[in-house]
Amino acid sequence: MKHAITLRIGPATFRIGSAWRQPIADLARLYAAYPDMGGAIADFTVRLQPTSLARRWVRPSIFITGDHGLADAAPMSLAHGLLAAEMGMNLQMALGWRRHLLLHASSVEKDGRVLVMTGESGSGKSTLAALLGERGWRFMGDEFALLDMDSGAILPFPRLVSLKNRAIEVVTQAVGDARMGPLLAATAKGDIRHMVPRTDAVARMGDGGMPALLLFPRFGHDAAVRPLGQGEIFMRLTQASTNYVALGEAAFTALTRFVAHVPARAIDFPTGDDAIAMVDRLWEELA
Amino acid sequence: MPDLDGVTAYRRDEADAVATCVLDDLTLLYHHRSGQTHMVISPVPEILERMADGAPVTVQAMHDRLARDYDLGPVDDAVVEIGVHLDALVALGLVRPA
Repeated sequence: MKHAITLRIGPATFRIGSAWRQPIADLARLYAAYPDMGGAIADFTVRLQPTSLARRWVRPSIFITGDHGLADAAPMSLAHGLLAAEMGMNLQMALGWRRHLLLHASSVEKDGRVLVMTGESGSGKSTLAALLGERGWRFMGDEFALLDMDSGAILPFPRLVSLKNRAIEVVTQAVGDARMGPLLAATAKGDIRHMVPRTDAVARMGDGGMPALLLFPRFGHDAAVRPLGQGEIFMRLTQASTNYVALGEAAFTALTRFVAHVPARAIDFPTGDDAIAMVDRLWEELA
Repeated sequence: MPDLDGVTAYRRDEADAVATCVLDDLTLLYHHRSGQTHMVISPVPEILERMADGAPVTVQAMHDRLARDYDLGPVDDAVVEIGVHLDALVALGLVRPA
């Protein structure tokens, strides 16, 4: 394709091609601290292409595809090209990655041990991981935690952190404007702005750690901590995994071991500060 | 779905083997042949355990085996319920008609 970049995030290498310059220029700026993979053979290809020939110029409209694609993916405006590239990379991982059990979760590390946070979009897991990454934890990822099925370790996938709506201001205040991407206004998920992880998170993106605590955060409720039965935890994690079924018995063994050994709690919180205090307390008590 | 009318006995074959993991509130069964994970609660694990030898077992015989270890209440009701569980296990492919 006319414009292209090759990026490595954690163990995965992506070649992203685009019919337009801007999405690739945005990626080059925001992923500047990541390893230069020019010329490498990529695990996945992502293509941002016009929905039709005319749509390259007139009201440009992006269709996201690649090695793995969704036939009915809604086209996106060129103004949201960076988001399209990020979604394209997520899509390749979700549909194609087989080397680890993929959990739709954020993760941060301290003293070699990992806190995993899983929840729906809007649960606050990305924001929490981003804020913890500025407060003494190493940010490992906001979208996918990779569970190594042999060792049981969690490996990082520290792509840009995707922040939505109210989280944008909270995190921008914490990290400063220089580490933020362009504001993508009025996407299908509201306003979105990407945050660049700290350089130590990028430099150590090959280093995993053993999971020590699993949290199910839920933003926008009165503060509360609830224990969960292991059956519910297992069920929620299979729902949060895009490749559990594809990986067969190895995934069953790895996930049951995770559930049996990692303490877990559901936490509700009204603000980010409340959540961080709860995380610190639970980490002290349980991890 | 197999026609279960007239099934008088059930058995487990080696091909029906599952990997089992007991979590605190339920039991997980990973079915090698289908790649499916089943989440089950009592009395399913207890029924499967008592079919581990692979020999055919009738509903009544299963009732008697379970009754050695558990208070199952009125016999007629318990036999009906055990029969329903066995038929459900056949439908899942974990047990087969003998």
